[in-house]
Amino acid sequence: MFILPLMAMLIGIEFVLIFNRITASYEQKLKNDYAILVSSKKELTTPMLRNINDKIDSVEVLDKQKIATEVVSGVDKKNIETILKELPHFYRVHLVDYMPLEELKKIEEQLKRIDGVLSVEIFGKSYHIRHSLFKLIENSLNIFITILFVVSLLLIIKQMEVWQLAHKERMQIMEIFGAPLMLRSGVLFKMAFIDAIIATLLNLALFLYIKSDLAKLKSLEFLGNDKSLLFSVTDVFIWFITALVIVFISVFYVALKTSEVSE
Amino acid sequence: MGSVIRAENLKLAYEKGKNVIINNASFTIEQGEFVFITGPSGSGKSTLLKSMYGKLRPHSGTLEVGGYNMSKIKRKQLLQLRRNLGIVFQDYKLINEWTVEKNVVLPLIITGYSLDVQRVQAEKLLSHVKLTEHAKKYPLELSGGEQQRVGVARALSKNPFLILADEPTGNLDEFSSGVVWDLLENACDQLNATVLVVTHKIPTIFNIPYRHFIIENGGIYEVH
Repeated sequence: MFILPLMAMLIGIEFVLIFNRITASYEQKLKNDYAILVSSKKELTTPMLRNINDKIDSVEVLDKQKIATEVVSGVDKKNIETILKELPHFYRVHLVDYMPLEELKKIEEQLKRIDGVLSVEIFGKSYHIRHSLFKLIENSLNIFITILFVVSLLLIIKQMEVWQLAHKERMQIMEIFGAPLMLRSGVLFKMAFIDAIIATLLNLALFLYIKSDLAKLKSLEFLGNDKSLLFSVTDVFIWFITALVIVFISVFYVALKTSEVSE
Repeated sequence: MGSVIRAENLKLAYEKGKNVIINNASFTIEQGEFVFITGPSGSGKSTLLKSMYGKLRPHSGTLEVGGYNMSKIKRKQLLQLRRNLGIVFQDYKLINEWTVEKNVVLPLIITGYSLDVQRVQAEKLLSHVKLTEHAKKYPLELSGGEQQRVGVARALSKNPFLILADEPTGNLDEFSSGVVWDLLENACDQLNATVLVVTHKIPTIFNIPYRHFIIENGGIYEVH
């Protein structure tokens, strides 16, 4: 049976797809939640900052009044106005990507060099911890998926050896009587095609279950309401095409291996 | 009559020429001839046959089968040639997962004949080899003699111009051997096929004219 190794391979592929979607979504979330805080005597605009570094996405002006109200509660109204006049402008600078700390420090330096900028806060420590954790998870999953791929590949090679033993005699007899490669491996192609369909359907059932049931788990709450990250219809096509490519390569390999060699 | 097999200074060898089996052999076999090739064990009888269906390429010299030069034959041409040969093996080489009737029409399946033609031809051939009642059985359910009759029926199924038989009665009792010889005789006599049989021993009763070659010490000699 070719179904089990094929399923393992397809599960690996689906993990890659899911993981890519989740990491992209999570990265987007981290990126959206993150901003560099800048205080400046002069006004700053998005085009101005983008000219300095194209990794800067946008600049959000923070309400001075609100900041002053929070900071100087109890101070009379006249004094607040004076304070407000003296207060610099505050900005939240949003970035295009969720980038490593080194890049962030580079942007910090560039912002500090702008005339009128008083201070730049990149929240480096917490950013670095989050980013490292994110990369650690990403790398761990990549290792897991690679191992899954290698194991399924070994299973597929084993299955090919079984096929070779099981069909060698028939294929060689057919070759002696002049059967072309496609005809003598016809049975294998048929089996492989059916296995590819079954493996795809079993995978579909598995991931539909994951989407409908497991997605309710607390541990997956970080996905928010976007359960489509766990499964997408286009994945089925990707699995099927991948399964077909894998099985057909395997069948061709077996067919060529069983072909008689001129002595 | 055209020559079906032509060998000139033919050398057959294994291990890239180190192990020479046939050396400097020259002979011609015409359409419709029945030829026995005998010789001691290990003399190269089966090797010669292998070279005729392209399993072994000549080391040097010329070997032509059905107009194809077996030294230069391309893979596609080789398959084409094999589709027009009938080959009988000592160990039958039947496909054990296929029924007897499907085994018999293997050459027709390969050539792409319709199921109707296959069915009609299977009935005719199985009746010819007296195995009609075994049509739906699998090879391993038959005796050795019956399996070899299936093998001969398969070899005849496409009316080949050349039948190559490698010790076709080597594993059979006297009765089965007689049936196989009759079938091969008929193929030559009635269908005008060239039949080349490699065997240890020529049958004592043989009803049609034949030629006899002996392989000895790497040479091929005709017995007159």
